Amino acid sequence: MWLPFVGLIIGIILGLLTEIRIPEEYSNYLSIAVLAALDTLFGGIRAYLQNIYDDKVFVSGFFFNIILAASLAFLGVHLGVDLYLAAVFAFGVRLFQNIAVIRRIILTKWSPNKEKVEKN
Amino acid sequence: MNVSFTLIAAVVGFMIAIQFQTVKKPDERDTRDVWQLRAALLKEKELQSNLLGEIRSNEEKISAYESERKQSKEQVLRDTLQELKMEAGLTEISGPGITLKIEPVIEDIKLGAPVTTVVSPELLKRLLNELNMYEAKYLAIDGQRIINTTVIRDINRETKIDGHTLKNLPIEVKVGVDTINTAEKLSNRMKVSKARDEFFTESLRLTVSEANPVVTIPAYENPIRIKYMEPIKEGGGS
Repeated sequence: MWLPFVGLIIGIILGLLTEIRIPEEYSNYLSIAVLAALDTLFGGIRAYLQNIYDDKVFVSGFFFNIILAASLAFLGVHLGVDLYLAAVFAFGVRLFQNIAVIRRIILTKWSPNKEKVEKN
Repeated sequence: MNVSFTLIAAVVGFMIAIQFQTVKKPDERDTRDVWQLRAALLKEKELQSNLLGEIRSNEEKISAYESERKQSKEQVLRDTLQELKMEAGLTEISGPGITLKIEPVIEDIKLGAPVTTVVSPELLKRLLNELNMYEAKYLAIDGQRIINTTVIRDINRETKIDGHTLKNLPIEVKVGVDTINTAEKLSNRMKVSKARDEFFTESLRLTVSEANPVVTIPAYENPIRIKYMEPIKEGGGS
């Protein structure tokens, strides 16, 4: 259960240590990719908690979402419309929903668990 | 499940870290206090005054050199060179003069017959001789400066002046003289000269302008080659 968090921390440490900086004009794409990745990550956690987790769905969703978001941002830049805002909005809403679902699941898991523990 | 999840979490962490580093501006705050700032300002001002002093000394040097140069023989040589260049036709000259225009005679154009577009070199040579006779000093035909070594000749039925082809009529001949009076005289003489008749027999009309106070005559463009001339050796009198 804690392995993903370890992975996350390792990734952050690696990223900070390598001191990679991408050009300013591409930071938009990266930010939206990060958002998409976060969304997928939380979606994965939620699915895991709901016991409907599927490895293929998760991995494919991760890459597909990132690519979709980046290409949407790219298209927006070329059309002159801030299309990446749409992606930001969509992913933001989903992020909140996912986190809310996770919170509820954890809450419901916690309270009966305690009772169960007490009962046992 | 955990492996892929962990890997993807690591990737996400990596991306977040990079984004964080990209967005993060390097913040180096200026923490110097007033006295340190004053010291820095003083330093810069000193540098500025040093630079100003340097500029001044350099300018003085320049003016010193300038005055030295003016008084030296070099300037005389320079002037002489300039005069010689002017005489040789290597400089552009503006001064009083007249403009002659050579164009085909429109009334003489016959149906079916080709319009005269060539001015024969003999005709041009005669015109130049006549102009020179009447104290013309600087000459240019169709923008080509005429100097002492200029050749006017017929190559394959094209009249060439130093390799420049005279193709399109009308042609302008610019003549420069010394004074406006000479220019007037020249204009009057050319108006009654034989050259006009000679041109007319070849179906060309020579129009002579009034004396013009400013006529610009271009410089000779090609390099002047001197084949058979050598400087006298120093000391060798002859």
